[in-house]
Amino acid sequence: MDSKRIDELLNKYWNCETSLEEEQQLRAYFTGTEVPEQWKETAALFRYFEDQKKKLLNDVAFDHQVIEKVRRPEKGKIVKLFYNSLRIAAGISVLLVATWLVRTEIRKTTPQEIVDTYDDPKLAFEETKKALMMISKSFGKAETQAKKINLFNEAQQEITKKEEDIETKL
Amino acid sequence: MNLEAFQNRVMPAKNKLFRFALRFLGNEEEAKDVVQEVFIRVWNGREQMNEIQNWEAWCMRITKNLSLDRIRSLNRKQTQPVEEAFHVHQQELTPHETTELHESMQRVNNLIASLPEKQRQVIHLRDVEGYSYNEICEILELDMSQVKVSLFRARNAVREKLMKINAYGL
Repeated sequence: MDSKRIDELLNKYWNCETSLEEEQQLRAYFTGTEVPEQWKETAALFRYFEDQKKKLLNDVAFDHQVIEKVRRPEKGKIVKLFYNSLRIAAGISVLLVATWLVRTEIRKTTPQEIVDTYDDPKLAFEETKKALMMISKSFGKAETQAKKINLFNEAQQEITKKEEDIETKL
Repeated sequence: MNLEAFQNRVMPAKNKLFRFALRFLGNEEEAKDVVQEVFIRVWNGREQMNEIQNWEAWCMRITKNLSLDRIRSLNRKQTQPVEEAFHVHQQELTPHETTELHESMQRVNNLIASLPEKQRQVIHLRDVEGYSYNEICEILELDMSQVKVSLFRARNAVREKLMKINAYGL
């Protein structure tokens, strides 16, 4: 390419009127071996652009890493769900432990009620019967004593009746 | 879109995305992270892919947004002096790369790094990646006139500085 054409293209380039193809031509020219002294710095600019384009993402593992990360979300959802349920379970267990501790504390401080220990209904029935028998026995005892008192009572009533009869006769 | 299509159609854009992210962040590891995140987002939003005509521009746009987010969070995390924070944009070159790079290319690198952000993005997309103006509009979410003005300013700033270097050998 003659220098006149290059000069023309360069002017267009600085005025931002070049097409992509023309810019490519300039780049091809300036990255070539023979460049006149006057364009030494301009050539450095185009070489710089060309050089920049050669800069690559030099990491063999990169693609693999991306694919792995891209694949993971489906698995990640399950893992997330697992961690979330774990979190909820932890919360519930903390609550349970707390209520248990509070309960035992309350039980310690307040007098304990009598706890029914009979799990077997037959045994419970026998025990109740025993208790009732004991009460009825006591009642029976009380009744015989009360009969004695009744005897005195009747006697007293008879005496007062007779006293009244004498008074009316008089 | 299935995984195979994703691997064959979307993932080959990784180098372009990487270079674009690198232009913002100036750090290869950070840029790599951004690209990985872009791919994951694209995969998660793959249902929308059918509606999108130019998915590469879409990927580039996500790269831009994520890179800007990262710059913001980096600046927030490290309460470093303003001057140092600006150096985040400058490319970190290994000693090997520095010796390899021609001195004049190094100068061009610094020159482009010193451009305002929008101009730097536009010149990168046009002169390094060779995108059309329409695509650049789509990627940067700007209108045509803003893109052209930015490119014009960027190229002329570069030209002026190159001419100074040529004239005074600075």
